[in-house]
Amino acid sequence: MSETSIIGTSVLRPDAYDKVTGGRGFPVNVRLPGMLHGKLLRSPYPHARILRIDTSKAECLTGVRAVLVPSEVPKKKFHPVFFSPGMAASMIPDMLILSDTVRFAGEPVAAVAATSPEIAEEALDLIHVDYEQLPFVLDPEETMKQGAPQIHQHAPNNIAMNPSFAFGDLEKGFEEADYVFENTYQTQRVHTCYMEPRVCVVDSDTFGNLTVWSSTQHLFGLREKLASALDIQVSKVRVVRPPYIGGGFGGKLDIGFIEPISALLSMKTRRPVRIEQTRYEDFITTARNPFKVVLKTGVKKDGTFVARSAKSILDTGAHATHGAVVLMVHGMYGFLLPYRCPNSKWEGFTVYTNNMIGGGFRGYGVPQAAFAVESQIDEICEKLQLDPIEFRLKNSHSEGQPHPFDPSSKLDTYRFADCLKQGAEAIGWSNGRSRARGTGTKRRGIGLACQPLWVSGCVGFPDIYEHSGAVIKLNADGTADLSMATIDMGSGQITTLSQIAAAELGVPAGAVRMTYADTETVPFDAPSHASRVTYSAGNAAKVAAGAAKKRLLEVAGPMLKTTPDNLETGGGRVYVKGAPDRSLPIADVVKQAESPYVRMVPDGMQRTSLQEKGTVIGVASLAPTANPSPATAEFVEVEVDTETGEVKVLRVVYAHDIGRVINPAGAEGQVEGGFQQGMGYALMENLVFDQENGACLTADFLSYKMPTALEMPPEIKSVFIESNEPTGPFGAKSLSEPCAIVPAPAIANAIYDAIGVRIRELPITPEKILTALGKLSE
Amino acid sequence: MKRIINLDINGQAHEVAVGPHYTLLQVLRDELGLLGTKKGCDTGGCGCCTVLVDGKAMYSCMIFAMATQDRKITTVEGLADNAVLDPVQQAFIEAGAVQCGYCTCGMIMTTKAYLSSVGSHVPDDLEARRAIAGNLCRCTGYQKIVDAIRLAASRRIVAGSEKG
Repeated sequence: MSETSIIGTSVLRPDAYDKVTGGRGFPVNVRLPGMLHGKLLRSPYPHARILRIDTSKAECLTGVRAVLVPSEVPKKKFHPVFFSPGMAASMIPDMLILSDTVRFAGEPVAAVAATSPEIAEEALDLIHVDYEQLPFVLDPEETMKQGAPQIHQHAPNNIAMNPSFAFGDLEKGFEEADYVFENTYQTQRVHTCYMEPRVCVVDSDTFGNLTVWSSTQHLFGLREKLASALDIQVSKVRVVRPPYIGGGFGGKLDIGFIEPISALLSMKTRRPVRIEQTRYEDFITTARNPFKVVLKTGVKKDGTFVARSAKSILDTGAHATHGAVVLMVHGMYGFLLPYRCPNSKWEGFTVYTNNMIGGGFRGYGVPQAAFAVESQIDEICEKLQLDPIEFRLKNSHSEGQPHPFDPSSKLDTYRFADCLKQGAEAIGWSNGRSRARGTGTKRRGIGLACQPLWVSGCVGFPDIYEHSGAVIKLNADGTADLSMATIDMGSGQITTLSQIAAAELGVPAGAVRMTYADTETVPFDAPSHASRVTYSAGNAAKVAAGAAKKRLLEVAGPMLKTTPDNLETGGGRVYVKGAPDRSLPIADVVKQAESPYVRMVPDGMQRTSLQEKGTVIGVASLAPTANPSPATAEFVEVEVDTETGEVKVLRVVYAHDIGRVINPAGAEGQVEGGFQQGMGYALMENLVFDQENGACLTADFLSYKMPTALEMPPEIKSVFIESNEPTGPFGAKSLSEPCAIVPAPAIANAIYDAIGVRIRELPITPEKILTALGKLSE
Repeated sequence: MKRIINLDINGQAHEVAVGPHYTLLQVLRDELGLLGTKKGCDTGGCGCCTVLVDGKAMYSCMIFAMATQDRKITTVEGLADNAVLDPVQQAFIEAGAVQCGYCTCGMIMTTKAYLSSVGSHVPDDLEARRAIAGNLCRCTGYQKIVDAIRLAASRRIVAGSEKG
């Protein structure tokens, strides 16, 4: 079997069998002997000081083993974000495990461990808390005004961060512009809606060592952040890699309240403690931050950008969490970098409010930016009567040019133009776009949106980890065990990494098995985030497999009476180059390496060689050498019912240069799932809060509307434009996040094409459409 | 006050002490260790906990355990016959319908009930979508799940393969 029969093949997922028969491997299924169950008491107020907590009644309840209150937790503030070291200057440490000031409705104030979840729940009702309610603010612009309640001591005017970037001469640019457009775009707070709730089990021993199982996107991040929150050494924390987790999408990229609280309860009780969040708790502890973006753009008559400025306000809620980095990625990869413009300025604000905290979510600040940028491009094209495809091409980067993020490297593979061309062809752009809108009540339109530039990881980003590691060990039956800290959150990382390792080793795809790992046994890996795993972790898997192969050939050389450099592997065998009939099964070579030095044969003792002895193993720990950009264009057709305001997506074509495709079915799955998240963002999803008391009104799936199978379009067509990225494993770049970034602006643009009204605020609900059509009063 | 009840799950008799408020989901997972049935929301909103009760798909978080006495309960653990997968399970693997897999067992149980109810009919795209409209998935966009349902239906041997 050659490399080409593994790479580019829709190898079936090795985890699928387990998942269709019950899925034992989810963290939610971890059970330990003697395990206690924890529950958190949460504040009903959005801003309050805790004057007194009386836990005496709760402690007397039969089955209660421990109660934890703010006075018992470490006083050192931490930031919860996994991918950045605890001491990183760009992050804002503003959290305590339990604080005596609560800053959002739902912030924990105490916790209980008991012999059953029911008893723990009952005990919460017996804890009496005296609160002093404080004035609160929920609006991200009000919060910056003089006289607004101060939420954190360190942040005057509640501004956690206020970065800006500029280049060129903005004023001159606007003077040279033939047209200037200024619009405001608003996005809402949405939830990742991973289906497996956040859950953890933490066990402790008498030396204070902790072992942790958790639904996490980052093994080593959890170790580092748990140690940081508890103010203990990292080597005291061991995190066990779950075989898989039930989704994440960025929502499990930080330490929750539950891990440090479980740890403290475990240390207090000397028992393992499990905490599983309820869906309500999930809904109020991570979200995509809402943004307001004011976008001002100057263009020449022919559509060339000459000046662009943007001001973005991010509501980070009660704590900064991801708000510091989401803002930067939004500014860089959402606004400044995707298109060329000589004169640009961006200013961002991350502001505290008494809303729920935010988190990561697929696209990390860029869906909010893309909605603004890609909507406005269509507005400009409409006004200047320019073709949206030509307009984008005119202002985009092209293959071979310096990489706009890191000009020391080049866009070696960059097929943005092909994405636009092939996508347009597949949807029937030239015939379907801007048709006469007709007179019926249902109108159809076609729209387009792009993410011209994206990442294959975080190389070059300040304060963000990027390296990966792998250990691969060959077995005497010709199979291999691959051990990595990489988390498979569902997107198929196990499959892809096994394919890459198998292709490099020269064994069939199924012969590589992803196996046990914990933070004590495998090298560091950065999180499963930033679309990075195939490219970055894939490179580590490939290099480790290459090292094992090198060792394999060293052992095989004498066996095949030649030198290692004359040998090659394939189909589970080692063979002599140019003479494939002179070959051995890899299993025989591994057996030789693993065999005793001296063997008993009928004639007596036979010596082998000492040089060949030892397990055939390969290890890698490395950072990728580049950060190549994929490119994306998405085309959608919608039907808008002008009587009801309902929008139906009819067809989707998603064209994407992702380098070489490792697993086509897996890649399609990313596109299709990404569209569901993006369509929910565009049309339906919204976390809504009571403005009187900050309480979440949409904390269950009956009131938080995410798309079901019925709302989804009948077909999502993936067009993969393959390039051969020289720095990627077998030519691969990245996938994932752009799939969820582009749907909202593509849908907004298609709605405009259908009914001629522009909605600049997500989600685009029937109410907004009917209001825009003048059929409802404001 | 707990009471001892008898449950028939996957053809096996279970005797279990339950409170009047215990849901079937809670009993399956926490009392009996049948962890294939997943809790996604506990409020009847996601379908991850779907099981068959007398052959009908039900959210096990929305039914009290006591109400399922003397009824035939089938969970995902009852589908595969030793190592031989149910055709629906096999189709989910082959169609690429499994990503994170957390909704998968519920989806499979809903599909089982649906296919049992339509005889030898192979559902079209819309019918398959309607069938699983009560089950949420956040990974797949449902497209390959719909493919799996239609694949399983097209392969089904009408007599004999249906259980539960």
